[in-house]
Amino acid sequence: MTGETNTNEIVIETLNLEKNYDDLKVLKGISVQIKRQEVVCIIGPSGSGKSTFLRCLNLLEKPTAGSILIEGQEITSPHCNIDSLRANMGMVFQNFNLFPHMSVLDNITLAPQRVKKVTKQSSEDMALMLLNKVGLKDKAKSFPDELSGGQKQRVAIARALAMQPKVMLFDEPTSALDPEMIGEVLDVMKSLAYEGMTMVVVTHEMGFAREVSDRVLFMDGGLILEDNKPEVIFTNPENPRTKSFLRKVL
Amino acid sequence: MAIINELFNLGTQLIMSLQSMAIGLYTWLLYVWGKLPLLLEGTLLTLELTAIAVSLGFIIGTFAGIGRLSEKRFIRSLATIYIDFIRGTPLLVQILIVYMGLPQIIGRTVPPMVAAIASLSINSGAYVAEIVRAGIQSIDKGQAEAARSLGMTSNQTMRYIVLPQAFRRIIPPLGNEFIAMLKDSSLVSVIALEELMRKAQLVYTRDYRPFDILFAVSIIYLILTLSISRLVRYSERRLRNNDR
Repeated sequence: MTGETNTNEIVIETLNLEKNYDDLKVLKGISVQIKRQEVVCIIGPSGSGKSTFLRCLNLLEKPTAGSILIEGQEITSPHCNIDSLRANMGMVFQNFNLFPHMSVLDNITLAPQRVKKVTKQSSEDMALMLLNKVGLKDKAKSFPDELSGGQKQRVAIARALAMQPKVMLFDEPTSALDPEMIGEVLDVMKSLAYEGMTMVVVTHEMGFAREVSDRVLFMDGGLILEDNKPEVIFTNPENPRTKSFLRKVL
Repeated sequence: MAIINELFNLGTQLIMSLQSMAIGLYTWLLYVWGKLPLLLEGTLLTLELTAIAVSLGFIIGTFAGIGRLSEKRFIRSLATIYIDFIRGTPLLVQILIVYMGLPQIIGRTVPPMVAAIASLSINSGAYVAEIVRAGIQSIDKGQAEAARSLGMTSNQTMRYIVLPQAFRRIIPPLGNEFIAMLKDSSLVSVIALEELMRKAQLVYTRDYRPFDILFAVSIIYLILTLSISRLVRYSERRLRNNDR
């Protein structure tokens, strides 16, 4: 899955990351390192803090304590330019969050044009290339409400890729989809992984985690209880909680 | 017995006055027809005032509505004070503060037209602000998150993602605000601006036929408000069918 170049470079590193909502401790000290071109899946029961952890990585949630280093840069410090950081980290949401008042093409070209100041022409070329890649090149002029769930999510992936991010974050990308549409989205994610994209994926798709990821993190109760290769996690997990969780979902 | 007599008398009086009203209807029409050019002149000014006030109010209200949701506490309280003050005090008082009160402080008179437009738009702005705030809050949080996750600034997110969707949703309540402002604009008659209400006053103080003229004026207001609410309902239906 991993390419040859600088795969030992650490792209994301968190140290004792904590997040509280008032009295509720959602993350209780997460320390993890993610390397370039690695595909990391985060699994665990709902309420375990998986999504919150992912959303901390691009500061959609503000951590209560601990630090996050993206390519060595401390992003929780007030001097960090959060907008340019986010421009380099694509995010795909459970509910797609396409912009309903814009065509598919405009959804994809808006951020490149406004944030990276790419010209209209080249942003549209790029958008069409990405739509082709996710298998939707004939939908450029459509509006989001004319698309199926799976198509929406593929557009959302193309939209994130248009910013040419170094990392892609996926927050349960298939959880809102009808079963027959999950495959088409996972296929796009798979090909992205094989191209060497660094990916962090919160998912309930154990098949995907097993097949595609380099590492699987099992989270429960705001902690990472196990961090292991998928072969190990899915066949012979070390932590008993991982074992009982997987017994329920597999 | 006395009560029955009394009721009987009242009944005959009522029938007689109805009779005279029927006769009066014709004379009323004739009379109002003669005053119509004057009243329509006032109607035009009323519409003009309302349109300007709601348009300026829309601009003020957009900023105040965004300010109400600002992360900066100072801006938030500023917007809240403005909205609470305007919505919590009578428009009549606000008009008089601008027209009568302000000259005392700035040492020069304020022309009635300026005072009217200023007080009406500032008033409308506060109501529009609450509409805009509700419109912004009705947009799913995921929209802003998606925009921010692409690296857009909070201003860009507001401008390209949240406001375009919010504005589409608030067209119906903005229409209602227009109707409310159309009716409330009659209050600027107290500062002698010759809009519809003031024209009516001028006519009846001269002719001493207040009922005839006030009835006519009510009908003009009614025609205006009903047609606007029709328009609003039409636009509402179109928006429901086409949520883009």
